[in-house]
Amino acid sequence: MDYSYLAIQATNGAVIGVIYALVAVGVTLIFSILKIVNFAHGDLYMLGGYTAYYLITLAGFPPLGALVGSMAAVFAFGILIERTMLTPLYSPRTERKDEYGIIVTFGLAFFLRNTALIVFGPFALKPPSFAPGVLRIGALAVTNDRVFVAVVGTLLILALLYFMNRTIWGQALDAVSQSRDSAAIVGINAGRFNSLAYAVGAALAAAAGALIAPIFSLSPDMGILPNINSYVIVILGGMGSVGGSIAAGFLLGEAQALFTAFLPDPTRALSYSNAFGVLVLMIVLMVRPTGLFGRRHVRME
Amino acid sequence: MRGLPTYLLASLVLAGLVYAHGFNSYWMHVTIIAMFYAILAASWTLLSGYAGLYSLGHMAFASIGAYTSALLIQWTGMPTILGMASGVVFCTVVGAWIGWVCLRMTGPYLAIFTLAFSEIVRIVFSTEDEVTQGMAGLHTVFLFHTDSRIPYFYTAIGLLVFSLAVMGFIVHSRWGLFLRSIREEEQAAAASGVRVAYFRILVFAVASGFAALAGVFYGHYLGILTPSLGSLDLMIIVVVMAVIGGMERIPTAVGGAIGIEFLQEYLRAYGEWRLVIFGLVLLFTMRFARNGLLTPLWLQFVRLGEVRRPVSAAAQAAAAAGEVGPQGSGGS
Repeated sequence: MDYSYLAIQATNGAVIGVIYALVAVGVTLIFSILKIVNFAHGDLYMLGGYTAYYLITLAGFPPLGALVGSMAAVFAFGILIERTMLTPLYSPRTERKDEYGIIVTFGLAFFLRNTALIVFGPFALKPPSFAPGVLRIGALAVTNDRVFVAVVGTLLILALLYFMNRTIWGQALDAVSQSRDSAAIVGINAGRFNSLAYAVGAALAAAAGALIAPIFSLSPDMGILPNINSYVIVILGGMGSVGGSIAAGFLLGEAQALFTAFLPDPTRALSYSNAFGVLVLMIVLMVRPTGLFGRRHVRME
Repeated sequence: MRGLPTYLLASLVLAGLVYAHGFNSYWMHVTIIAMFYAILAASWTLLSGYAGLYSLGHMAFASIGAYTSALLIQWTGMPTILGMASGVVFCTVVGAWIGWVCLRMTGPYLAIFTLAFSEIVRIVFSTEDEVTQGMAGLHTVFLFHTDSRIPYFYTAIGLLVFSLAVMGFIVHSRWGLFLRSIREEEQAAAASGVRVAYFRILVFAVASGFAALAGVFYGHYLGILTPSLGSLDLMIIVVVMAVIGGMERIPTAVGGAIGIEFLQEYLRAYGEWRLVIFGLVLLFTMRFARNGLLTPLWLQFVRLGEVRRPVSAAAQAAAAAGEVGPQGSGGS
């Protein structure tokens, strides 16, 4: 086994890990506030990638501006979805909210993916790169795009952590996730924070989609794998735990990259690296249904 | 007239059987595929609508059953019927195993677990292409050695009627009541003496068996199998059919499956837009008519023969009808 090959795989794993963490943090955030698993998260990621692409090619945005623009657009779209489709989740008259959440978000994913197939076309698109060129450290060569993704992704995650832990809105979100009624008693408008949580989760997924687009390309079904991987991460890190999903995101990215490096048959390794993550998910669910680092108060009924 | 709806339905099926040779080959194919979906939608409804277990891995069982049958026949040269039966039996066992494994999971956890299971099945089937031919497709033995679709048509009707009879029997018996009590409140059901674990495993096994039955028939009807039989896209189509029809009753889910499949062919000119439209209809159904679009029609239909009876008898009939199906839960 070549040492530099391992190093390259480890670096790639870290970059993918950042992307996974961005997607998974959104799933966790939405779960802890709305108490639903967002099965349409991968499609918001896809939407973010395409929005950035069209902002660059049609509106002439610079790549970084397109990233911010796509986050803003998908943030607004998230509010729209939450206001139109998810309000029955808070109504006391709705029975079996779990079921409603599963089917509505699953249907939303189906709708978005098929709409994208028509509007954007089935062919893979590739936006211009954020930072052309290659970074060399000794024998290790990494494209600047990957470095850019890792840096911006990490900054976004740090910003989210700051928002969740140091600002009054973040504290309010945490309060709503712990107890909706108590939050209402101290004057938090829970309805508004439902929208905020869904929109922030959507915007983070959009950022991940826009960041990954120059490295892998865009296609309407690009969201399926990150979506499933984000469940792996969220289950590993514990439903509702932001820190846990960040850690698990890195872990899964690295584990998959090194799994690919160590398996002798390369084509098989590529397809089984996804099955590997999913297998881990199944085993964790069997052994500890709340995830490895799940917080007790957000356990689903 | 008592039992009028039953007679009406039976005569409709009979008319279909008698005039089968009058259909052209294309619409007969559509009808056969519609029945394939109907079995899937009905068994998914048994699992999700009645027992409240939201499995997203239902198509994986259809896929496992179809591949088991095709490969067994290929390896051992056993008769087609025997291969199909062993595919179904194998899937029932796997279904029971999955049901046992996810006994502790509810709601979204179960959905994620079954989603993961179906992804693994799909990845394995498409990667191990020395055995399964991967995405190139595995050639299967045809069930009948004839060019005509009529034998397949009769078989499909037979399988659908058999599946509906068995599932209808389960649903109308005490077991159906137990399943619905598990859906509403697992702990309360357990406290009332329902063997929750036993029935959860049982319903998983039965539903998986019927999914495999549909899959096995599909494989030996088309003559070719690809891993996309177990894909999420097909799973979501089954969910769309059951939800739009009404997933709390088996007949409405079956109606949804047949209706959507025919609409899909009828609207062929609209190409990809059909799926977008179905997605939108699904969202609107969930948002505004959670009991399904066919449920009100079905309830009217069931009461056809009972309108002009004396009050006391009518009340009894209404009570009986109320026992048959869950009354509009969630319909705010």
